[in-house]
Amino acid sequence: MKLNERSVAHYATCESPPDKTGFLVKKGERNTAYHRRWFILKGNMLFYFEERESREPIGVIVLEGCTVELCESAEEFAFAIKFDCAKARIYKMAAENQAAMESWVKALSRASFDYMRLVVKELERQLEEIQEAGRGDLVAAAPGGPLVKSKSARRNPLARTRSGASSASSTSSSSSSGGALSAAVFSSQRSVQEETHLPSGPSRENGVAWSKPPAALTNGFGDGALSCVPWDSYPGSGSGADGSRPPPVPPRRRGASLESPVSPGTVCFSKLHEWYGQEVELLRGEWLQSQ
Amino acid sequence: MRFNEKELVSLSRQPSERAAELGMKGPKKGDVVKKRLVKLVVNFLFYFRIDEEEPIGALLLEQCRVERESGQVFSIAFLDETEKKYMFECDYEEQCGEWIDAIIKASYEFMRKNLIFYRTEIHRLTGQDPLEQYGISDETRFQVNSGLQLTPKETSSM
Repeated sequence: MKLNERSVAHYATCESPPDKTGFLVKKGERNTAYHRRWFILKGNMLFYFEERESREPIGVIVLEGCTVELCESAEEFAFAIKFDCAKARIYKMAAENQAAMESWVKALSRASFDYMRLVVKELERQLEEIQEAGRGDLVAAAPGGPLVKSKSARRNPLARTRSGASSASSTSSSSSSGGALSAAVFSSQRSVQEETHLPSGPSRENGVAWSKPPAALTNGFGDGALSCVPWDSYPGSGSGADGSRPPPVPPRRRGASLESPVSPGTVCFSKLHEWYGQEVELLRGEWLQSQ
Repeated sequence: MRFNEKELVSLSRQPSERAAELGMKGPKKGDVVKKRLVKLVVNFLFYFRIDEEEPIGALLLEQCRVERESGQVFSIAFLDETEKKYMFECDYEEQCGEWIDAIIKASYEFMRKNLIFYRTEIHRLTGQDPLEQYGISDETRFQVNSGLQLTPKETSSM
C-alpha cells in the first residue's frame, strides 16, 4: 500500500512541537536484538530515527487503535505497543528508567486521534454550556456585545497580576500575563469562527506556521514537559466564584457517532478516562508487584 | 521509511467520517483521472479501486493544503512540495465543499488547536482549567505552548 512517505517524514521534522521525544530501545523487526533509537511522538504517529541528529526517520508506527502494555522482557522498564488486528506486529520497547517508562506509556496511550477528538468534543460541550449559562444570567453585565467578547465589566481572573503592583483594572491588556493569553484566545477564536462559517474560495492549510523553534526538548528521561503557560498560578480564582459548577457527566452525544470499534464504550468521555486510568493503575500495580 | 502497513490497512476498514467514489488524479505528470473509492478515517485519506477490499494507498492529512480548483474539483497538496497536487473530482458542488471541510478538520493538529482554544476560553470564563478534573492538565499535547503564535495572518490562511 502506498503512503505519502515524504510528507509523513516532513510532519515528523517540521517545526510544530512534538508531544514527546526521547531515546528508547526497540526490538528489531527480523533481528531480535534491541536497538537504541531516537523517538518523536507527534499526534498519533511515533517516528523513530537512527540518531537524534538524523534528518529522516527510519520508520513510523501509526498508533491509531493500539494498546500499550507493560511486558515481560529481558530488558528492564519494558513495554509493548499492540494492535488488535490479525497478524499484527507487537512492538517491544524499553525505557531507561521507571519514570521514563511510565511517561511513555501514558503518552502513547493517549496518542490516538479518537482520544483527542473526544477531549475536544467534551470541551466544546462544556464551553457551550458555560456560554449558555452566561447568557442566561446576563443582568448587569457589560453593555453590548456577547458575553464571550466582553472584557470590561466581567470579572476576569487572568487580568489580575501576580505581583499585585498594578491597579485593579479589569481589562485583560493591563496584565502582561493575561494579555498574551487573551491575544491568543482572540486570534484563535477568530480562526475557529472562520472555520465554522466555511467560506468557499481561498485554499486552506492545516499546517500551522510555527514562528519559534520548539522549546528545549527533554530526552525522555523523566517528564517531558515543554514550556507552557502556567494554569494554576492565578490567585483567588476559586471555584464557584464566577458561579461556575463542575460540568456533569457528559450525556450521549448527538451527531456523528463517536463509538470507536477499536475501543467500545468510549462514547462517554468520563468512562473512557476512567478506563484509561484504571488500565494504567492496574499495570503499574502489576509491575510493582513483580519487583 | 518503514511503517506498520497491516495496521494501516486494518484502519482503512474502520467506520469512516466520509466515503465516496470520486475521480482521483495523482500528482505526477502523466497521471490520469481514475475512479476511486475515497475514504476518510481519522487523519488518513484512503483510496481503493472500486470494489476492492484493500486500499491502494493512503494519504496522511497533516501539514497539507486543501484547495477548491473549480466547482466540483478540490486538490490536496502537502506543505513540503506544494506544486504536487492530488486532484479529486466530485459529482456536484456541495459534495466538493463538504469534502474540503471534512479534510481540513481531519488533522490532529487542527483538533489540537481547537482544544487549546476551548481550554483557554473556558479558563478565561471560569477561572478553572477544564482538564484538571480528568487529571490531564499536564499532558504535553494539551499545552498552550509559548512557541504558539496565532497572528491574524496565519489564522486567515486556514
